[in-house]
Amino acid sequence: MTLPNTFPLSALPRRFLLASATALALLGSHAHAADKLPVTASFSILGDLVRVVGGERVAVTTLVGANEDAHVFEAKPSDAKTLLASRLVVLNGLGFEPWAGKLLKSSGYKGESVIAAKGVKARHMEEEKGHTGHAHEETDPHAWQNPNNVVLYVRNIAAGLSKVDAAGAASYQANAEAYVKELQALDAWAKAQIATIPAHTRKVITSHDAFGYFAAHYGVKFLAPQGVNTETEPSAKQVAQLIKQIQREKIRAVFVENMGNPKLIAQLSKDAGATLGASLYADALSAPDQPGATYLQMVRHNVAQLVAGMRLN
Amino acid sequence: MNRPENTAGATTPAITLHNLTVSYRRHPALHHVSGHFARGALTAIIGPNGAGKSTLLKSLARLVPVAPHARITHALGERLAYLPQHSELDRSFPLGVRDCVLMGLWAQTSAWGSATAPMLARVDAALEAVGLQGFEHRTVGTLSSGQLQRALFARLLVQDAQTILLDEPFNAVDSQTTAALLALVRQWHRQGRTVIAVLHDDAQVREYFPHTLLLARECIAWGPTAEVLTDPNLQRARAMAEAWDETAAICDIDGQVNGQDFDTLLAQRLASTA
Amino acid sequence: MDILLGPLWDTLFSPFAEFAFMRRALVATLALSLSAAPLGVFLTLRRMSLLGDALSHAVLPGVAIGFMVSGLSLTAMALGGVLAGLLVAGIAGAVSRFTTLKEDASLAAIYLVALALGVTLIAGHGTQLDLLHILFGSALGVDASGLLLVAGVATASVLALALMYRGLVLETFDPVFMAAHRSGLPAWVWQQGFLMLVVLNLVAGFQTLGTLMAVGLMMLPAVSARLWHDTLPAQLLNASAQAALAGVAGLLLSYHFDTPSGPTIIGCAGVLYAASLLLAPGGWLPRWWGTTHRVA
Repeated sequence: MTLPNTFPLSALPRRFLLASATALALLGSHAHAADKLPVTASFSILGDLVRVVGGERVAVTTLVGANEDAHVFEAKPSDAKTLLASRLVVLNGLGFEPWAGKLLKSSGYKGESVIAAKGVKARHMEEEKGHTGHAHEETDPHAWQNPNNVVLYVRNIAAGLSKVDAAGAASYQANAEAYVKELQALDAWAKAQIATIPAHTRKVITSHDAFGYFAAHYGVKFLAPQGVNTETEPSAKQVAQLIKQIQREKIRAVFVENMGNPKLIAQLSKDAGATLGASLYADALSAPDQPGATYLQMVRHNVAQLVAGMRLN
Repeated sequence: MNRPENTAGATTPAITLHNLTVSYRRHPALHHVSGHFARGALTAIIGPNGAGKSTLLKSLARLVPVAPHARITHALGERLAYLPQHSELDRSFPLGVRDCVLMGLWAQTSAWGSATAPMLARVDAALEAVGLQGFEHRTVGTLSSGQLQRALFARLLVQDAQTILLDEPFNAVDSQTTAALLALVRQWHRQGRTVIAVLHDDAQVREYFPHTLLLARECIAWGPTAEVLTDPNLQRARAMAEAWDETAAICDIDGQVNGQDFDTLLAQRLASTA
Repeated sequence: MDILLGPLWDTLFSPFAEFAFMRRALVATLALSLSAAPLGVFLTLRRMSLLGDALSHAVLPGVAIGFMVSGLSLTAMALGGVLAGLLVAGIAGAVSRFTTLKEDASLAAIYLVALALGVTLIAGHGTQLDLLHILFGSALGVDASGLLLVAGVATASVLALALMYRGLVLETFDPVFMAAHRSGLPAWVWQQGFLMLVVLNLVAGFQTLGTLMAVGLMMLPAVSARLWHDTLPAQLLNASAQAALAGVAGLLLSYHFDTPSGPTIIGCAGVLYAASLLLAPGGWLPRWWGTTHRVA
């Protein structure tokens, strides 16, 4: 804080100046600390993005944490309290959080909310038989698997934060754009990595269908055993067909996401002569000590593992 | 009166009771019953409803908990067989009659021993003795109640116990079966076994049972049937209140109530109803 | 003859010949049929037919504690599940012995408490994926260790049942007789031993084949078998046979008609049940048809 130049410094007692300068400085820093904008993000990936865009100005709480499954999330009373204390809620949208509407309404939250995936060109899910994890039947909510969509995400988040906290708009903008540059670099790197794999061997098996956007963007074929997921039971015919397909297409890499029931898919891949790759991070970030702790790390890890797996094909 | 009657000819009694008290929710079903069953005696237990007759048998069979100051002494090495009133038997169980009777040899075969030919012969003989030859392979569920009671008697036969407790054995049974089973009971008596049976039929008791215990929660009379089944005794037994008395005083350990003994109380009650 | 054999082979045998996962599913199902179905007959005789379903929920606190101690270790969670199941069954049995409550009432009370405890433990630890879903397997996902588990449990269980047979029959048929008799092992030993066998079979079944199949193979053929025979040994054999038949038929149908395996197997058991209701000596049609009778 600078004093206006019209006051000659010597005219005021020095002690008074010192006192007021200290007071103002203290006030300023106190205001700075106390005014951290409370934001709630629905799941870990969004939490990471909000932290990046918001920087020091926000205090983010995530409802569905690292390594947790948003599909089976059940709200606790503390979640409602967290919501009420926030001034902004960031949701993915595209039907990813079917429980969100109810939670917002029942907790009486009256603040702003941001749909991070606004403006994203939505894809449709592969034919899924009774996949009860997602409430919708068709729209694929996993838009963040394509870094280009995350560009839209951070811009939407920046806009939302600016709406609630106009004073920080410039900072949010700057953070967002800096991150966009990182995203673009990540995208280029990923494309280069995948380009090292011959086109006809760009296929893997996963146990979950979270990679639709990734597959479309990078041209990798993800084969998921239909109906073989955490909720429903497969038919013997489906399992047999999948084994035959793995053998026919000579896929060597099978990946499991960081949640879910890996037993079935592990056994299946062994039967078909494939190997089980490391976990991929699909719907959540990992714990801080694991390789998927931030979005950028997550994508980097996924791409590296996928490429290593596809190389075996 | 609470005086136990000794029977002639017995050496050590088969079962001795001392202060036997059994309570359900602090109300006595049996109240300070003392006495003994002589070895080889054929005793009927008779009394009004709710007199504690079944409870007495159950406590002899050690199936209900008794008050801490009560003592039941069984003569050493005596095996006991017990036929309950309404069996908790599962009538729909897919078990053959022969296998049911074979269970009487549980002590010999235990859980893993095989049923030898002599054992099976005993089972078949027992079935014949009760008139159920030809029923070996019928299932328990297909028997009438009279036939089932006969099968259970056959099981008792096979158990070959020295002391036999029967709780209302002739209840839902026709007269022909009753006669047959009574004959078995007399046979047991002749063999020197101690038989105790809870019965309702006074005439039956007078005719077949040399000893009687007249029970009305307390022992009214115990001894030779002719001495027990007298009008004064029967009247005293009927004076017992059937329902629980929530206002009754707490009983002292030696059977006195408010410092008065049973005779005094009874005299008072009879006087008030006279 | 050869014309028939070809398609017959394709329909009945080639799925098993060609795919290891089908063979493993078959062996696991047959093993469980052999050991669980006879236990199911005893459960119906003891009026505890819903025990299996209750236990599938009651194992939750054990699984949760196993998870809290060792993370996503299937061994720890399964062990916790078995211990929880044994505890629940044991307490329910003990309560029914010492109070006026029958086994079904005491079980209902205990398993609900166990379930609530399990849910609370999990919620306190963070909303992880449905732990029971991770623990509970499915017929087509049987791996080598799962196969060993089921086969081992089945063998031990059949032997144990053979040893316990007479004591268990007596305790079920006439518990008062056994209590009054006082020779041999006390009655509660047979009751608890039996419950332990049931819990072991069920938890092994949950982990390898899933709840529907474990409980279904235990109960449904047992109920059907009781309609056919009057004597216990025949009912036990019949129950095992029906369970095995349902297993084979269900797997084949799931293969040829693209239906989920577990429900299809239980569906086949259900068809056998319906057939029993109609055709068995204890069923409806004989009553309707049997108008002639003997003279005596």
